Amino acid sequence: MADLPEMLAELQSVADSPKKMLAKYLAQGKKVVGCFPIYTPAELVHAAGMIPMGVWGGQVNPSVAGQYAPIFICSIMRSCLEFGMLGKYKGLSAVIMPILCDSFRGMSGAWRVGVKDIPLIALIQPQNREVDGAREFLAAEYGVVKEKLEEIAGHKISGDAIENSIAIYNSHNATLREFARAANRHLDVITPKIRHAVMKSAHFMEKAEHAAKVKDIVLKLAELPEHKWTGRKVVLTGITAEPGDLLDILAENKIAVVGDDLAQESRQFRTDIPAGQDPLDRLAGQWLSRSACSVVHEKTSARPDLVIKLAKENRADGVIICLMSFCDVEEYEYPLLAKTTAQAGLPSVCIDIDQSTENSGQARTKLQTFVEML
Amino acid sequence: MGEQVGQKPKRELPRSRVLVAEQTAKIYRDAFAAKARGEKVGWSTAIFPQEICETLDIPVLYPENNAASISAKHLGGELIEHAEGAMQYPSRICSYARLNMALADKIQDPAYSKADPLMPSPDFLLLANNSCTQLMKWYECLSRDLGIPIFFIDCLFNYYEEKPAKHKITYIRKQIEKYIWDMEAFSGKKFDWDKFLEVQKRSQINSKLFDEIIRLNMRTPAPMSGFDFFNYMSCLVLARGKESTTVIFEQLKKEVEEHIANNTTTFPSEEKYRVHWEGIACWPNLGHNLKTLKNYNVNAVINGYVTAWNVDYEPGDLDSMASAYASSSTNSLSTNTIMNMRADTIENYNCDGMLCHVNRSCKMMTFHIFVGRHIIEERTGVPCANFDGDQSDERIYSEAQFETRLQGLVEIMQHRKEANHG
Repeated sequence: MADLPEMLAELQSVADSPKKMLAKYLAQGKKVVGCFPIYTPAELVHAAGMIPMGVWGGQVNPSVAGQYAPIFICSIMRSCLEFGMLGKYKGLSAVIMPILCDSFRGMSGAWRVGVKDIPLIALIQPQNREVDGAREFLAAEYGVVKEKLEEIAGHKISGDAIENSIAIYNSHNATLREFARAANRHLDVITPKIRHAVMKSAHFMEKAEHAAKVKDIVLKLAELPEHKWTGRKVVLTGITAEPGDLLDILAENKIAVVGDDLAQESRQFRTDIPAGQDPLDRLAGQWLSRSACSVVHEKTSARPDLVIKLAKENRADGVIICLMSFCDVEEYEYPLLAKTTAQAGLPSVCIDIDQSTENSGQARTKLQTFVEML
Repeated sequence: MGEQVGQKPKRELPRSRVLVAEQTAKIYRDAFAAKARGEKVGWSTAIFPQEICETLDIPVLYPENNAASISAKHLGGELIEHAEGAMQYPSRICSYARLNMALADKIQDPAYSKADPLMPSPDFLLLANNSCTQLMKWYECLSRDLGIPIFFIDCLFNYYEEKPAKHKITYIRKQIEKYIWDMEAFSGKKFDWDKFLEVQKRSQINSKLFDEIIRLNMRTPAPMSGFDFFNYMSCLVLARGKESTTVIFEQLKKEVEEHIANNTTTFPSEEKYRVHWEGIACWPNLGHNLKTLKNYNVNAVINGYVTAWNVDYEPGDLDSMASAYASSSTNSLSTNTIMNMRADTIENYNCDGMLCHVNRSCKMMTFHIFVGRHIIEERTGVPCANFDGDQSDERIYSEAQFETRLQGLVEIMQHRKEANHG
């Protein structure tokens, strides 16, 4: 087993350079399918023997995406389109896109026009999850995705293969949750940036491979004495907490991340695929179980309670609301989050997350002020 | 969906317009009266299956229509400010939502009277997300803030061009059935399926009548200023299933046919150019839009927004109804589908160009413009021009930019005409 810094550096490298992972898997003769945020049935790609790879954009000031994507759409979608149009995703056999918001509605058309060499597999999850028929609908929708993936893979995807992938994904979820708990005992080693890298790297590696690496990290952490953190502790909520500079600012101000409700991070790992008889029905059941997420309709928003619970359980001093630029589903939830966390005695600060700029100057000022409040 | 296009009408309103105003006033009056009697009143998204509450005789008002009306009267600014200030909503979310959530907050004070038209505070919400996903978030906020239930029809999205697949129709039909049972239980009223069939038939009559009227504008020169159609959209939003709408549309049809017979038009200057208007109206800026169009002799003879309410289905067939509600809105269809429909319209209405409203509040409509513009240009050869605006937020629109963009479009249309005739 490698030493801990080496293990962490490897996942940092994966998180920083997904392109290298794409090249690696392609060199191994594997097909790779891009998976757009936030929730796709990546298990089906995995079951087909292909590699599901997250498509989360990156820091870029778009130069060509503006042809199809107005400036006032979600920052991630614009970056993804930019990279797609510039050929950065070359090698992907297809992309799966869940139509979770208006930016995705538009992106489904923009992708087909702007990135003609990477076929789009679109799908939509049911939002009226209480109605009898929602689960059946989604299983059928996943069935269509499965057929399209079979065409790309060149073979059928068996029920057993999907069951096997489901087991790997559930196990990976448990491992990442275990890592999050272990990280809080070693906040000196697991800085905000490293915590982020371990979680983000999951999008770009085969899940069993990633789980094995994270398990080793957890074992190595257990060998270290528990660290008593004397700085401030926060919980992050939003879509992503990037770029890395932002997380460096936290570290510089002695702020540790002790929990997250980020779409790119813990929202990926907190809901397991339930038991059941039919694998597609089981995958549909996972969507029906999802909660406290801005792209999921619920009668009563569970998100503020979840964020408060996370903060209290992990003794956080405050909450950082990472508001993705032009992400309307998150923007609608901002007032409730700000109000509810304040009522619970948790100070919060709202940071704009924008992939189109590297400039974190405003975030730095806000966070410096915030830490003084805590 | 606004009630008045332009600022001060220079001539007597046609009878159809008077009837529209009377119908709208009655619907609002009836809702307030029902509320005063202690009955339940609903707020609904614009393309929700209105047939059910119409059958149950439950009053429903429409925030999108209401926001358009308030904005057209320049009364939206203060509400939008309240949403962004005291209520902390970011300025980037839909301006209808900001305006309406602020109104919902303000009307909790019985003394509040600034907005016009006012709505009674709702007891329930009717949500269909066929127009956009923001509606879902907007109504979640209303539901939470007011402590009232949502009746939700999830209409999905047609990301490809084919008709909705069977599993999609089944899911939507099941929601409509559940909604009927839930609304029966909520209202304590028995659902009359025979009356439902009649309301469905009436809704179809009204949709088809409006479609027929709009098609009369294919004539050159057009009998109507295209902007006039905005005045009648409220009939299809507020009263698609009512007989009074049939009366209005029959009257309107008669008026348009008279214009054709007399070779007259409601367009206030010579129609030298005909354009397709893409997108929602800039309600606070309608007066400037119309004046500028008139000055450049451009009649926006048709727009996709006024035809968005044509929910076409077979009465008595819930699958057909489910499919129609999944496919009626501009924003529920793929860009390929929508822009090919627009190219057909441009050809059928003999348009010289397309004028596109890049509406800051509507991501999906703007995507259609950005992604689908090439379809228009390749299929029809007509030029397109964009301008920035918003359906309610006056801060986005620039009079100078609108005129410059229109001027540019006119120059290209003029050159093309000269080239074609030369």
